[in-house]
Amino acid sequence: MNSDDLRKRAIKAKEKKAEYGADLDLEEYSYSSAPGQIESLDEISESDRDLVKDVGFNPSQDGVSGSFLQFDNEGIFADVLLKQEGLEILPITEALSKYDWLQDYLWNAVSVDTDKYTARSEITDYNGYFIRAKAGACIQMPVQSCLVMKRNQSVQNVHNIVIAEEGSELHIITGCATPSGVEQSLHLGISEFYVKKKARMTFTMVHRWSEMMDVRPRSATVVEEGGTHISSYAILSPVKSIQTYPEVHLVGMNAKADHYSVVYGSQSSSYDIGSLLFLEAPRTHGKVVSRSIATDASEVITRGDLVGLSGETKARLECDGLLISNEASIRAIPMLHAKAEGAELSHEATVGKVGADQLTYLMSRGLNEEEAASLIIRGFVKLKVPDLPPALQSSIDEAIKMSLEGGM
Amino acid sequence: MCANILETTDLRVEVNGLPILSGVEIEFESGKVSAILGPNASGKSTLAKTIMGLPEYDVVDGDILLDGKSILDKSISERARLGIAYAFQTPPIISGVKLADFICRICPDYQCKAESDYFMGESCSCKSELYEDFDRLGIGNLAKRDLNDGFSGGETKRSELFQVLSMRPRIMLLDEPDSGLDYDSLRIVGKELKAIREKGDTTLVIISHHRYVLEYLEVDRIYILQNGRLAYTGDMRDIPVLEEKGYDRFLADVMR
Ligand SMILES: Nc1ncnc2c1ncn2[C@@H]1O[C@H](COP(=O)(O)OP(=O)(O)OP(=O)(O)O)[C@@H](O)[C@H]1O
Ligand SMILES: [Mg+2]
Repeated sequence: MNSDDLRKRAIKAKEKKAEYGADLDLEEYSYSSAPGQIESLDEISESDRDLVKDVGFNPSQDGVSGSFLQFDNEGIFADVLLKQEGLEILPITEALSKYDWLQDYLWNAVSVDTDKYTARSEITDYNGYFIRAKAGACIQMPVQSCLVMKRNQSVQNVHNIVIAEEGSELHIITGCATPSGVEQSLHLGISEFYVKKKARMTFTMVHRWSEMMDVRPRSATVVEEGGTHISSYAILSPVKSIQTYPEVHLVGMNAKADHYSVVYGSQSSSYDIGSLLFLEAPRTHGKVVSRSIATDASEVITRGDLVGLSGETKARLECDGLLISNEASIRAIPMLHAKAEGAELSHEATVGKVGADQLTYLMSRGLNEEEAASLIIRGFVKLKVPDLPPALQSSIDEAIKMSLEGGM
Repeated sequence: MCANILETTDLRVEVNGLPILSGVEIEFESGKVSAILGPNASGKSTLAKTIMGLPEYDVVDGDILLDGKSILDKSISERARLGIAYAFQTPPIISGVKLADFICRICPDYQCKAESDYFMGESCSCKSELYEDFDRLGIGNLAKRDLNDGFSGGETKRSELFQVLSMRPRIMLLDEPDSGLDYDSLRIVGKELKAIREKGDTTLVIISHHRYVLEYLEVDRIYILQNGRLAYTGDMRDIPVLEEKGYDRFLADVMR
């Protein structure tokens, strides 16, 4: 689709309310941006280094294949470490002017007129990353990325495209962070993932926002024949509100997707998070697994929807919630939708409190109440989320520790 | 040395306002092996759980003394740290916590990571020793399983015993450590307990319905509870008689 058409569709959808989440007035924010460049990671300040480290970004670039870092809409750093053949990391604006074909991937997985947020994202200036593993390239070390938002009353508008070409392997660890104290701001994030034939992409994302931020990511993934997409998501900080419902389309035979998410709700934050999996070709399969923990007066909604559009497909949905405060709430909304014979869909949902008998048991082994509760919560989070990256695990531990120290 | 490490004085316990134990007075001698016997529902488990400090068991009168000092105001954790350990009959599942990691977390010997480590010693460097212990207890298969998740009856017994042993407590309260075990497992458990007895630094309190382990350990004292009261105090020689007569007749005869 050419850019004029996209813009027209976006303008039409400018007022279209999102299906879920509190409706935001998009006129309240400023959309200024002046692209800038960061030449080296040595340039960033000590406090920014700490902030990005918190969401798993390593400023010294050890153990990674490349990095992308963006502050608000301007300061951008993109770097592929030497000898990483077949890997490309570019700011999206640069990539779009470099490659004409990339236009076909823009607003392809995500529709530009999904709602007012996607529309607004197209209408105003954006940046973001373009990451590509070229056909056959096996990029063992992860690519790291971090989007930092520091300005008040503003909008960070990000559009990312990630492509794992045929037979390639690509791992991405990405974080979004705001220092606490940022006032009323909005993060719009469009992410489009393309997993080509027999490619494998893992994507791990950690969010750490501040109490005054509204966050509306819109993302979708298309997985072709024999491709695999594994996504792990964790939000561990308070936020004003976040609403996201990423989609995965398994369009080729034997395509597979697993989506894991961990929500650690605190303060009076509102989280509405889910995953929507479309099984569109025979022998596609997948899993949507979520673990939510609600503390303080937080409100967590977890959605999951499996849509079986083809026979010989199989998918499972698990939403489990653990409530650790009387003022908090968790609503698990699992949905199964079979439209073809032979689509085998199942779900399980539980919401409960930390069991008194579990606490007693662990305490009788010498753990104090706080340690016992941490162990139970940590076990609950860890459950069935395989190979949690160490950075993510330690962020989770830290969040659990902090909230228990405050509350118990 | 025959000081009492633990004693209950005129202990009255209620659950939800319902009296379960009334006036129980028992003295456990340091380093000795005591057996708590008695018919079903006589209050044996209640006694052990009350000593451990489980929340449903309200002490309405009397006291529990450890080294002569009341522990009634101590939390479960504090009692555990003072050296009291209780093996549960039906422990709850703790998902996402592997038995081996948990043993590392609770055992002073295995806790090789810094004290500040908030969570479990997952990168514990003494795992080889740990696995030897697992194998000796015949439960190597449980090491990587979630705590109590799907453990069989006999596996639960041995996992509980392993945990309690790992805590290196001063007093072990074992609630039917011998029930539901096959011949081989029974022998394993018997040997473990015998080794503890021979070391002599742990006081054992064993609730049981079977003579095998009690006789093998050569228990020093037996206490029989009946309807929430201490009905009889004796020693090993009573066990065969008890088995022959059953509690009702045994107690009726000794009361006469
Ligand atoms: N948590 C509880 N809630 C209600 N009743 C209880 C509770 N714990 C114990 N009881 C009651 O107290 C009485 C004594 O129970 P306890 O478990 O101590 O018996 P026991 O001597 O260990 O019996 P058994 O040999 O069958 O294990 C029983 O009638 C039991 O139902
Ligand atoms: Mg009992």
